[in-house]
Amino acid sequence: MHISYGVLSFPVVAVGWCVTLALLAITLRWGTKDRGIAEEIPKVSVMTGAFFVASLVHIPVPPTSVHLILNGLLGVVLGVLAYPALFIGLTLQSLLFSFGGIDALGVNTMNMGVPALIAYGVFRTGCRRGAPMALLGAICGGLAIFASAILMAICLITTGKEFVDVAKVAVASHIPIMIIEAVITGSVVAFLAKVEPEMLPVDKEDERR
Amino acid sequence: MEYPEIDKYASLKSPIHKFDPRAKILTFSSLIFLFVFVDDILLATINLIFAFTLLLISRLPLGFVFDRMKPVFLFVLPILVIMSLTVEGSELVRICGVAVSYEGVRYGTLITARAIAAVTLALTMLGTMRFDTTIKALYMLKVPGTLVQMMMFTYRYIFVLLYEFSRMRRAMSCKGFVLKANRYALSMLGNLLGMLIVKSYERALRVHKSMISKGYTGSPGTITQFNMAVKDYVLAVSIIGTAILLRMYSVILSVVS
Repeated sequence: MHISYGVLSFPVVAVGWCVTLALLAITLRWGTKDRGIAEEIPKVSVMTGAFFVASLVHIPVPPTSVHLILNGLLGVVLGVLAYPALFIGLTLQSLLFSFGGIDALGVNTMNMGVPALIAYGVFRTGCRRGAPMALLGAICGGLAIFASAILMAICLITTGKEFVDVAKVAVASHIPIMIIEAVITGSVVAFLAKVEPEMLPVDKEDERR
Repeated sequence: MEYPEIDKYASLKSPIHKFDPRAKILTFSSLIFLFVFVDDILLATINLIFAFTLLLISRLPLGFVFDRMKPVFLFVLPILVIMSLTVEGSELVRICGVAVSYEGVRYGTLITARAIAAVTLALTMLGTMRFDTTIKALYMLKVPGTLVQMMMFTYRYIFVLLYEFSRMRRAMSCKGFVLKANRYALSMLGNLLGMLIVKSYERALRVHKSMISKGYTGSPGTITQFNMAVKDYVLAVSIIGTAILLRMYSVILSVVS
């Protein structure tokens, strides 16, 4: 999932950075317009830390193990601020653990952040229509990983035609992660709906109206 | 769960350790971006040697650096294998009826060399200064304050949350929980993560209040001072200059001959 150093070509890297910088500017402005930046920075940072820790969990899937990404859940919990949160999380993963290259940071944030924003949209629309939350959470979790895998495949293939088969293998290897994330996101959302419903975006939005 | 101790060896002494943090970040980042877009396999090898020379100068323990490189190998080696077997081109050898193409091996090796050179540079840069120094230097290099602050806070809370999370996991494993990829274990893990998120949210509210009470307004401030000396400029210019010369080696060779 985390594209490493030296894999992508210059045009792909450049597009990734442009998209990420633009979306960072937009989401930071949009996400802090209600309560101001001084209130959001500490909150988003602590939540980013929680997701960073959660992504270090390795789940044994014989013959190897997978680690969680949780971009769908991040989108559901943090809303549009999931994008800067993912940028910070991925930067730290790249700097501290060499997961993903510094050059590919823009592309990696785009691949995981755009699906997180989609998951946020799907979750809000679904809740307004009255869909059961746990199911909606599972759909968001699975959908976000699926979209990330597709975006990553597109980035690899646009780098060079040599990557076609690599991209196929990469997408196939994300199928178990997709199922695992769907189950976990569903159960986290059900848990949050029971324990701390104010963290989910639905109630907040309805109160404001 | 391991703590992210990237700056374990930041207290060693070497020319790279003494290099001014801002100049170091600029120099090494430009080297990384110079190295990752190379198309020539000979040049990629020369870059790799150059990166390793810098690593040796920095005196970081090699075991530490190789251990940190593992994720890169795990990403790049499958690419090398798959490309050797699938890319169409002239046949190099045939193993058990599967053709290994020259083009596939060449492109795969090129990617591997670029990746290892870049990650060596990144680890040399990050391993030779404390991580909070890195973040402060980024702020002085005019990276937007919001992002720098978020990075600082997140880094600070990773350690707290890692401790809290491993405590909760220990409590669960005391009660006989084993993490497997089945539905029951995953939904239990979901509850565990949900609890971590709830606890972090409550902690975030407390952190925010205590920061407001200490006069936080959202703008960053730092009292750290870095001093750029002449030797820092010389070192930066000579490292980047060498890299650019290496990049143009074919032009230089043709001029000489």
